[in-house]
Amino acid sequence: MPARSLRAHLLRLLLPPIAALLAVGAVVGYYSSIEPANEAYDQALSDIAAAIAAYVRANGTDYRLDLPHEVEQALRTDRYDKLFYRVLSPSGSHIAGDDKLPVSERSTAYDARFRGEAVRVVTAPAQCGSLTCTVLVGETMVKRTRLAREFLISSLLPGILIALATLVLLWFGVKRGLWPLARLSEELKARSPRDLRPIDAAGEPEETRPLVAALNGLLEEVALAASNQQRFLANAAHQLRTPLAGLQAHTELALAQPLPESCRAQIEQVHQATIRTARLANQLLALARAEPGARGTSSDVNLRSVVEAEADGWVHQALERDVDLGFELDMAPVKGDALLLREALANLVHNAIQYSNNGGRVTVRTGQREGQSFAEVEDDGPGIAPQERERVLERFYRVPGTRGTGSGLGLAIVREIAGGHGARMELTDGAGARGCRVALTFPYG
Amino acid sequence: MRLLIVEDDAPLASGLSRILEAEGHAVDVTERGEDAVLAASQEHFDLVILDIGLPRMDGFEVLRRLRAAEKPIPVLVLTARDAVEDRVRGLDIGADDYMVKPFAMPELTARVRALLRRSQAHGGPRIVHGPLALDTVARRAFLRNEPLELAAREWAVLEVLLAKVEKIVSKEAIIQAVAGWGEDLSPNAIEVYVSRLRSKLEPAGIKIRTVRGFGYMLEEFKAATH
Repeated sequence: MPARSLRAHLLRLLLPPIAALLAVGAVVGYYSSIEPANEAYDQALSDIAAAIAAYVRANGTDYRLDLPHEVEQALRTDRYDKLFYRVLSPSGSHIAGDDKLPVSERSTAYDARFRGEAVRVVTAPAQCGSLTCTVLVGETMVKRTRLAREFLISSLLPGILIALATLVLLWFGVKRGLWPLARLSEELKARSPRDLRPIDAAGEPEETRPLVAALNGLLEEVALAASNQQRFLANAAHQLRTPLAGLQAHTELALAQPLPESCRAQIEQVHQATIRTARLANQLLALARAEPGARGTSSDVNLRSVVEAEADGWVHQALERDVDLGFELDMAPVKGDALLLREALANLVHNAIQYSNNGGRVTVRTGQREGQSFAEVEDDGPGIAPQERERVLERFYRVPGTRGTGSGLGLAIVREIAGGHGARMELTDGAGARGCRVALTFPYG
Repeated sequence: MRLLIVEDDAPLASGLSRILEAEGHAVDVTERGEDAVLAASQEHFDLVILDIGLPRMDGFEVLRRLRAAEKPIPVLVLTARDAVEDRVRGLDIGADDYMVKPFAMPELTARVRALLRRSQAHGGPRIVHGPLALDTVARRAFLRNEPLELAAREWAVLEVLLAKVEKIVSKEAIIQAVAGWGEDLSPNAIEVYVSRLRSKLEPAGIKIRTVRGFGYMLEEFKAATH
């Protein structure tokens, strides 16, 4: 059964031995202290017996205890216990004292019951002429029971305290001991999903190293799988490009020739489909590059330069749709993959131009706001309804009723690329609550 | 003009050659880099369109050898690979221009025209753009064969734009090209020169487009009948 909590598991593991140790410790402690105490009590009784023995008189076979009343009073006086005594003749017959105080043949100190109470009896010999009489002194067990209880408590209490302290230490010690694991999980949590570099095991304690090593092994495999998939996708998309270029060349050639009207319409369809497919291949490639695990390059990139380098192509796209494409460009230094950033901006501009009305305005801005570099593209087209803004970022999602033939990948690619660069992507209304503005704001430095 | 296409994908090569032939060029096609190097060393070509992803001798090697020739030929590089695009963009490998497959044919033909024009401009003193002709030696301009009066600054701006037809020229770039040392020329002044140029050239169908917040672009001349 897998333990759900390491602490509970450890407690279950440690509690029985601790309890057993505690019990053994208590028993050993109890007996090692009660024995001498009992012996001391026995010795006291034995002293009393000896004292009484001094008053035993023998006259031939006539035995007698000549115990003065005051002495007897003194002997019997005890704060806790009742004291009994009995004197037996050498033949074992009762001479004096408390009749029927039990006699034992085996021992000179023994436990017995007398008048319904547990008693401790000690015997002592008494000189009776040439023979020996026996003096028995019995005592109830109040003192001894008290002492035993006190010994029990005093031997158990430290054990219990130590056990409690152990449990508390265990409880917090587990947490403290697992600190390297907590730190490791924090480190993993803080990682970008693109980051598949091995974890640095240098600062790790010996105990967590195997875990880190195993994680690194896994990361390596994931990175390998990702880069394989990545390479496959990129290869596939690359391989598509050349035949698509050929296809595009031939459909354009065909369209440049005199053609029957029905035939022209069909070739026009093929041509449009080719262009869309080409764009899709490029987008898949971009997506593959932007995906976590892709080995993107990171360098200093100025978003302004990226825009300036691409502006020619974009302006031509805009002219085709009679869109006024304008720029407001300022320095916007970021760290990242220039090719991916270009792809992100190209997608935003493409979308803005595609979904603008004829004669519409699209503006590309780069610069810095509050120390953070940004790039944004604003159009005055139909815009995106607030409830659609989340969904348009999903792959292959297109707002219902949208004209044109987009793949629905554009914004998903932008989001992927923005995410990979730690940039914030915001969709808002354009200026004057018209159209749409997509802004990418990059982290400091 | 005589062009050489080096491309191992037969459908694309044939499509390109037919489109460029339709533009009035003489086109040769080879699918091997070695053949291209040999052909270029023995015959004259005005432009080479070179695919980087060739079998055996790859496009980079072909380009290197073409560049090593006595009289370098302009080269337009074609590539299907982003990684190659990175190299072409990032390193000075000597290509005059590059295009990533797949591309729209009008864009290809426009680039080819621009490259040819540029290489001609280097050699000859005469720049022609549709009905406009500039004699750079005599510094005289003609529009529809009529002399065209241009102020020195207007001439300079026009020359910059003509060097980059269909490309955006930023206002800063124009200022740098037009202003003399130590001169302070405002973007507004450039606007004035451009608007004067427009009023002189637009009646002949030559368009200078304003790219808001960036600069200007001299559009490809399209005859009314086209």
